[in-house]
Amino acid sequence: MVSVINTVDTSHEDMIHDAQMDYYGTRLATCSSDRSVKIFDVRNGGQILIADLRGHEGPVWQVAWAHPMYGNILASCSYDRKVIIWREENGTWEKSHEHAGHDSSVNSVCWAPHDYGLILACGSSDGAISLLTYTGEGQWEVKKINNAHTIGCNAVSWAPAVVPGSLIDQPSGQKPNYIKRFASGGCDNLIKLWKEEEDGQWKEEQKLEAHSDWVRDVAWAPSIGLPTSTIASCSQDGRVFIWTCDDASGNTWSPKLLHKFNDVVWHVSWSITANILAVSGGDNKVTLWKESVDGQWVCISDVNKGQGSVSASVTEGQQNEQ
Amino acid sequence: MKLKEVDRTAMQAWSPAQNHPIYLATGTSAQQLDATFSTNASLEIFELDLSDPSLDMKSCATFSSSHRYHKLIWGPYKMDSKGDVSGVLIAGGENGNIILYDPSKIIAGDKEVVIAQNDKHTGPVRALDVNIFQTNLVASGANESEIYIWDLNNFATPMTPGAKTQPPEDISCIAWNRQVQHILASASPSGRATVWDLRKNEPIIKVSDHSNRMHCSGLAWHPDIATQMVLASEDDRLPVIQMWDLRFASSPLRVLENHARGILAIAWSMADPELLLSCGKDAKILCSNPNTGEVLYELPTNTQWCFDIQWCPRNPAVLSAASFDGRISVYSIMGGSTDGLRQKQVDKLSSSFGNLDPFGTGQPLPPLQIPQQTAQHSIVLPLKKPPKWIRRPVGASFSFGGKLVTFENVRMPSHQGAEQQQQQHHVFISQVVTEKEFLSRSDQLQQAVQSQGFINYCQKKIDASQTEFEKMCGPFEGKVNFEDDSRGKYLELLGYRKEDLGKKIALALNKVDGADVVRRPLKIALLTGNFESAVDLCLHDNRMADAIILAIAGGQELLARTQKKYFAKSQSKITRLITAVVMKNWKEIVGSCDLKNWREALAAVLTYAKPDEFAALCDLLGTRLENEGDSLLQTQACLCYICAGNVEKLVACWTKAQDGSHPLSLQDLIEKVVILRKAVQLTQAMDTSTVGVLLAAKMSQYANLLAAQGSIAAALAFLPDNTNQPNIVQLRDRLCRAQGEPVAGHESPKIPYEKQQLPKGRPGPVVGHHQMPRVQTQQYYPHGENPPPPGFIMHGNVNPNAAGQLPTSPGHMHTQVPPYPQPQRPQNGWNDPPALNRVPKKKKMPENFMPPVPITSPIMNPLGDPQSQMLQQQPSAPIPLSSQSSFPQPHLSGGQPFHGIQQPLGQTGMPPSFSKPNIEGAPGAPIGNTFQHVQSLPTKKITKKPIPDEHLILKTTFEDLIQRCLSSATDPQTRRKLDDASKRLEFLYDKLREQTLSPTITSGLHSIARSIETRNYSEGLTMHTHIVSTSNFSETSAFMPVLKVVLTQANKLGV
Repeated sequence: MVSVINTVDTSHEDMIHDAQMDYYGTRLATCSSDRSVKIFDVRNGGQILIADLRGHEGPVWQVAWAHPMYGNILASCSYDRKVIIWREENGTWEKSHEHAGHDSSVNSVCWAPHDYGLILACGSSDGAISLLTYTGEGQWEVKKINNAHTIGCNAVSWAPAVVPGSLIDQPSGQKPNYIKRFASGGCDNLIKLWKEEEDGQWKEEQKLEAHSDWVRDVAWAPSIGLPTSTIASCSQDGRVFIWTCDDASGNTWSPKLLHKFNDVVWHVSWSITANILAVSGGDNKVTLWKESVDGQWVCISDVNKGQGSVSASVTEGQQNEQ
Repeated sequence: MKLKEVDRTAMQAWSPAQNHPIYLATGTSAQQLDATFSTNASLEIFELDLSDPSLDMKSCATFSSSHRYHKLIWGPYKMDSKGDVSGVLIAGGENGNIILYDPSKIIAGDKEVVIAQNDKHTGPVRALDVNIFQTNLVASGANESEIYIWDLNNFATPMTPGAKTQPPEDISCIAWNRQVQHILASASPSGRATVWDLRKNEPIIKVSDHSNRMHCSGLAWHPDIATQMVLASEDDRLPVIQMWDLRFASSPLRVLENHARGILAIAWSMADPELLLSCGKDAKILCSNPNTGEVLYELPTNTQWCFDIQWCPRNPAVLSAASFDGRISVYSIMGGSTDGLRQKQVDKLSSSFGNLDPFGTGQPLPPLQIPQQTAQHSIVLPLKKPPKWIRRPVGASFSFGGKLVTFENVRMPSHQGAEQQQQQHHVFISQVVTEKEFLSRSDQLQQAVQSQGFINYCQKKIDASQTEFEKMCGPFEGKVNFEDDSRGKYLELLGYRKEDLGKKIALALNKVDGADVVRRPLKIALLTGNFESAVDLCLHDNRMADAIILAIAGGQELLARTQKKYFAKSQSKITRLITAVVMKNWKEIVGSCDLKNWREALAAVLTYAKPDEFAALCDLLGTRLENEGDSLLQTQACLCYICAGNVEKLVACWTKAQDGSHPLSLQDLIEKVVILRKAVQLTQAMDTSTVGVLLAAKMSQYANLLAAQGSIAAALAFLPDNTNQPNIVQLRDRLCRAQGEPVAGHESPKIPYEKQQLPKGRPGPVVGHHQMPRVQTQQYYPHGENPPPPGFIMHGNVNPNAAGQLPTSPGHMHTQVPPYPQPQRPQNGWNDPPALNRVPKKKKMPENFMPPVPITSPIMNPLGDPQSQMLQQQPSAPIPLSSQSSFPQPHLSGGQPFHGIQQPLGQTGMPPSFSKPNIEGAPGAPIGNTFQHVQSLPTKKITKKPIPDEHLILKTTFEDLIQRCLSSATDPQTRRKLDDASKRLEFLYDKLREQTLSPTITSGLHSIARSIETRNYSEGLTMHTHIVSTSNFSETSAFMPVLKVVLTQANKLGV
């Protein structure tokens, strides 16, 4: 069952472009074409406006919460070519940092797994991806990948910090040997995987080609301790692909078509347990997908205005599909 | 930002939106000459490869044409979504000709690329457009007011939209309506535009502003609004774009006056109706919003006039412009840095000068382009207004606790002025529940944990279970562990029952009694007290039983020797088992038995193993089964681990055998683990609180799953609390806060990174992961105001860490102190678990785990055995912490009375020597059928007379029949009946002993016995009826009914 437990009237004056809950699921951040970012306390079904953040000069596309171990931090990106990092201190939210290193709309922001420190990846229509790393004392170091995606990067998504398959085997006390990776999708119809080299430079590791139009979103699935890495991607071409990689070196990725929709697919989002994928389409449709035992992706629910039923079994879902 | 450029003086056409990859076709322009004055013409196709960062466009094909073109369009005719067919290129030529080309053939390099050609028009064909609804319809316009509608399926004969407009004039533009398929508009340099209705076959409206200065160079319909169109004027005196609405066609709705000189071409974006491109003789390319007139963007052109401009249909941010300086440029309107591209462009410019000496004069021509770039703006700003295609209208994102956050922006039905303020901008937070069964089972488990109603819970599970394994596993996992006689129950579940064996022994004893003959030499030896030689004699004579009995009398040493000799001599199949029983070498049995017989091995262990080695033996057997690799055996290994109470191994083995990622499978495991841990905690009392790594991982996986279904409270309850594993600590924190309890004073923890003295400059990755994890555990509870709640309460709360911190609490006791400081806020934030946590465990135990005496005693105690009273007292005592006494020793029922004469035994601390005298007669031995028992009768039985020889057959026959029934009866009810019958038949045997039965009855019983021998139960039943009907009721009522039950069952089971 998908049942609405809270309907938040955001009072935004224009289109909403993103809505994200914080780590605990108690606060909601929204952003809109009205250039504002709003934060609501939504605990226990309530909706208390905590902050109405003004600072962007254009539509705000995305918001991203940092891990709470760093405090209450929210990043937002906008068509005004800026990324703003907001921070709550003593109960009030303020602009903590403004990153103006892009030449065009910044379309996507994503915080790295908290294990790496405070690192933000930003993808822009100028084709570049920038990486902001907090170095202490209010300083942010910027690294930029130019020409990551010609005429624009639409989405960035970090790989989970867990080295695949190592959840159990990791010897305790030993320093985990993380390899930082993230995925990006862009207007060149490509998904690219980036890896930090030993010298701290970012290098293109993989190019995943399957879409025939702009890649609208990429989402790296959370790790649940399995040795497989999974990425979902969606595109202007209406297709959603699930990419999987089984080998440890991370070199062989194979796509599986989840579905071809009749409209643009804007957004894909994994559940925390990585078993359900929410797909948002241009026809205002949200569908939930789950992998069946035989490896097929099956639609288990249509969500309309936050509501929908869930097929009891995967086979039932398949019948619905047909 | 410029993306690509091609040095051609050409008309251009993008491939249709369906086509992938994106192509750009260029056809040599008829109205321009380049510096070579060449009149050669060609049709070329380039691919737009955006992953190539260079400015060059990849040329795919060139076709040398005999025509030069006024207009080139690429229609999606016959194109399918697969892109097998690339549509059709339609070209307007200089001499009234329209030519159709097949672009796929051009790309393939074919010679014959022309599909069809028609020169019906007069003069150059300057206007062409494809109907977007019926892609086979093409409209064309030329001189003399000629407009034709071509059907590509029937190209030879074009249609006309109606009578020619008068006076005759050139048609410069033509466009199909974007909403209504039969509406067409044409425009001419004279400034007049005409709208045609093809169904009426006549012009329906003429649009003119009467200024007579409009000189139409461009015409475009609104992409969304059917009645609106724009007209562009080439006249320098009126360099405007007029927006018309046909509903009010007397004057333009809006006039865009952004160009300084005449406009040469316009293009309206199909992807965003607020984007209209225009290029003019002022050398500007502008992008304006025709709905407001605002200029949104000025392309940074450094070239001359552009005479043609086109949006790329597939990539909405891309456009191409053809300029008079002989170049086609591809731009993105999204801005961006051009730093990487500039250099190439400069190089290219300079190198191209080398070719500018076409006449061989030795003097290169001066550059045609006078306007040099003034300021090199390396940064190109994007559109002022974000294009529609990057405005995400919808989204659904998961968040913690199985919540889904969705929003949508419903398009306004009205096209006019979109009053978005009217719209409600709502965000929905929904709970997603996908695993209903998982949740309900988890709920049941939790209820059982809270109410301590484990036995009921287990029984329910057994009743509901379907597979045999489940049936086995269910009771194994829990029920039995909560009942008093757990080992006995295990045995029963494995198919071995003690009381049956007891009967068999008695039977065997009788046989032995009757067959005893004493020989002379033996007599002598005995009389002389020479036990050793007496034993030897017996052995020699194969009188094993006598030998052993004598050996017992002869003392420990002799007994041991005799046993060895006996085993050496005996080749019987079960000798090994007996050997093991006597020598207590269970390790060997368990370690070497055939795994097919795991059931027997486990039964033997359950019966005989000493408490201290019991778990280890079960473990060993489990390990063997597990290592076999067979998935069936692996699940059976789980049973062994359950018997052993080894949670960690159970988890490991289970994980191996089952698909642990499926929620229900995980639920199965957790049910077993929770119950088992509870059981182990009760019986062994110790060391259950340490959570192994693997179990912790599984439990947190389980908690994660619960959380993902929105059951935050349940997740918290199941999460192990006595571990410092970071992922569990983090999950606990997350669950706590997700429950929504207020954070004290709205104060958030201070941002830790402020305190971290990260080195300046580039922080190495080392810093990142070295410091963060250290910090995090403390940072989560900065002031102790949000301690984690007491978690995983059900398994006892000995926290090694807590114990260490609280030296007053003895390490081996159940500590009542929660592992973390008590939260200062009231506990009612949590739903339920704390109540459990606070109840002292020990007090609960006696009342809750009092063994159900009525069930236990009949099974445990032979009928009328005085020992039963004594035994019954044991379970009613509070469960001691020692696991030893949690199950009664199975030996007691048979062994103690006899042995008690020499060696009275205490209840506890069963000495290892205890079972010695039982050599062959251990009652719990599994393979009872082949046993020859040598055992004294229990004290009470000594007073009984033996059954007369002639009637002994009755007893053996009935006993045997019950045994056969028991071995094939599966359902517990039948088995109970049979057990009961077996006991009640004692009344019969007693009567036989006392010889109180009338001859008719005994003879009748013998007939029944005979019919049993021949397995003719119906005959037996008839005989039975006869006896009952003819005899005295009081005489037979004690045993005849049960005999009938046995016969009926035997008949039913067909044994």
